[in-house]
Amino acid sequence: MKTFEYTIKDPVGIHARPAGLLVKEVKKFASAITITKGEKAVNALKLMALMGMGIKQGDTIKVSVEGADEEAAAAAIEAFFNANL
Amino acid sequence: MALDYRKCAEQISANIGGGANVVSAAHCATRLRLVIADNSKINKKALEDVEGVKGMFESNGQIQLIIGTGTVNKVYDEFLAVTGVSAATKDDVKKAAASQMPLWKKILKTPGDVFVPILPAIVASGLMMGLVEALAKVIPSFGQSGWFLFLDMVANTAFALLPVLVAVSAARVFGANIFLGAVIGIMMVHPALMNAWTVTPTNQPAVWIQLGFLKISAVGYQGHVIPVILSVFLMANIEKKLHKVVPEMIDLFVTPLVTVMATAFATFMVIGPVFSILENYVLAFAHWLVTSTGGIGALIMGAIYPFTVVMGLHHMYNVIEAGMLASGGLNIWMPIASAANFAQFGACLAVAFKCRNAKLKSVALPSSLSAALGITEPAIFGVNFRFMKPFIAGVIGGAVGSLFGAIAGIGATAYGVTGIPGFLIIDHKIPYTILLLISGGIAFGITTFIWHEEGEEAPKAEAVEEKAFDAPVVIRCKNGEVKQPVKGSVVKREDIPDDTFASGVLGDGVGVEPSEGLVVAPFDGEITSVAESQHAVGLESAGMELLIHVGVDTVNMKGDGFTCLVAEGDKVKAGQPLIRFDMAKIEKAGYKKTVAVLLTNSEDLEEVVCG
Repeated sequence: MKTFEYTIKDPVGIHARPAGLLVKEVKKFASAITITKGEKAVNALKLMALMGMGIKQGDTIKVSVEGADEEAAAAAIEAFFNANL
Repeated sequence: MALDYRKCAEQISANIGGGANVVSAAHCATRLRLVIADNSKINKKALEDVEGVKGMFESNGQIQLIIGTGTVNKVYDEFLAVTGVSAATKDDVKKAAASQMPLWKKILKTPGDVFVPILPAIVASGLMMGLVEALAKVIPSFGQSGWFLFLDMVANTAFALLPVLVAVSAARVFGANIFLGAVIGIMMVHPALMNAWTVTPTNQPAVWIQLGFLKISAVGYQGHVIPVILSVFLMANIEKKLHKVVPEMIDLFVTPLVTVMATAFATFMVIGPVFSILENYVLAFAHWLVTSTGGIGALIMGAIYPFTVVMGLHHMYNVIEAGMLASGGLNIWMPIASAANFAQFGACLAVAFKCRNAKLKSVALPSSLSAALGITEPAIFGVNFRFMKPFIAGVIGGAVGSLFGAIAGIGATAYGVTGIPGFLIIDHKIPYTILLLISGGIAFGITTFIWHEEGEEAPKAEAVEEKAFDAPVVIRCKNGEVKQPVKGSVVKREDIPDDTFASGVLGDGVGVEPSEGLVVAPFDGEITSVAESQHAVGLESAGMELLIHVGVDTVNMKGDGFTCLVAEGDKVKAGQPLIRFDMAKIEKAGYKKTVAVLLTNSEDLEEVVCG
């Protein structure tokens, strides 16, 4: 399993659009990807759940990637966060 | 010196591929917002270099050119002329709405428009003035002290020099230069003029200029409102006309000079004198009414009193009151003024209680307090007169209260305060209490009964809808149907004015151009997420995950204008209200109102048909 932490820089956080883009990115990989904020953890494939987390600017989230292509997936997701959030 | 709007517009047009490449054009306070058909035709570098464009950026297929307040609208007008793009913007909608408004309504609306922005200043002053003056009556030694002089000066600054505030605000409302407006306002209370409040039959202002029957008297307009608004209105028109006819090269010195001179003459020769003649007649009439006609006179005076406040005439009434006391009698004017003022308090308080709009509440509450202390301008201009019905309720309450005062035969032994501080100078306190209760109570009651906050009718309609939610189906799949969750016209997902939604990244679905600010549940289901900024809601039913997202980029509004009526985990019935949103606010913030209705898991569903 690969994990990394990321602090949200986007002023409005993970709302509909970035959540949708994130799901799309996650779908490219076979690995199970989980996003954790505090005690809440959600499957990154679930758009609604992601939006429901209310992740805002300044929040630090933990991303866990587990599966056959976890190396590539973790790198791609981290790049996605850096570029979009 | 001024920016050449035409040239600016032409250059913008040239660098975006001409009018044919413009899908839509709108502008907000500072930016020109263009939706472009083919972005490859845009020359970004050149656009940034256009004189007048202070910057540009792109946001979801919309290019935004920062041009600046007061300029962007002019560039926009030219842009439309240059490109031939028709404008279906918020401005036009507003203008169309305004032109449909009958003239008398427009006229009545103006004082309110002018007064609302200056309310913070006069609410503060009104409350302070009421308190300081009441204190001076309770503790006579305080009234003699330097403390009183200082506090009274601080408290009445905004009122004594009210024309300045009114003029600046009016200049903004009428689209004139606000500094020229300020000059007119200051001129009307210039120290070289005699203070209007000190004018008495024996203390008359000097006549400076006499031209036939036209003359200019050296008297100020302390406490006035309507003459100031009229003067600034005139000034705005003169200024606009001159800007059109005066060559640009000499515009900067000719236009302001001529504008101020012409307005000054018109103000002091025509507007002012007409108002003072009017004032004198009203005063004489009021005096006769109250002293010679008994209860009926008091009734009528109680009714017209608030109108005279609107005209700014009430500052003259001290003359009547002083006259009554000087002739050895009681001041029977004061109970009338108190009834009228307290009725406005009652009406304003009713609005404060009844309204749901937080902003209106925050204005109405302090305004009503100020009115209870006898300073009614904030309540009248800021609240009651704007909605008219509370004002009329106040008129009725004031009339009945005044009639009671006359029958009870009460009067004051001094003058200068009304409302609650009036207890200090009234001869009989119990009838006075009843008078206040009658006038305030009637106004409060009537207002509560007849005044409804705009948009309050909606709940009834919803209740009906809940029973039979028969909106058309907009999305179908094997798992179930999604009914149209918001009234309006349905557009294809691809036509939602936002790349992300249109591309289908968030799932397949439709857009709705809303005609009403209410989202209802499109099926029986469970709320799975509510956006923090209340503009979007997710719900689930039979394996369908649906996102309803109101407007484009509205997340930036941070919830202002949106009220989500449900919470995560709530079970909802088809037709149940989910989000209430303020369409005008979204437009004002410069965003598209399109509601995206998307099945976020449409890829996993079978036989999805949209539209």
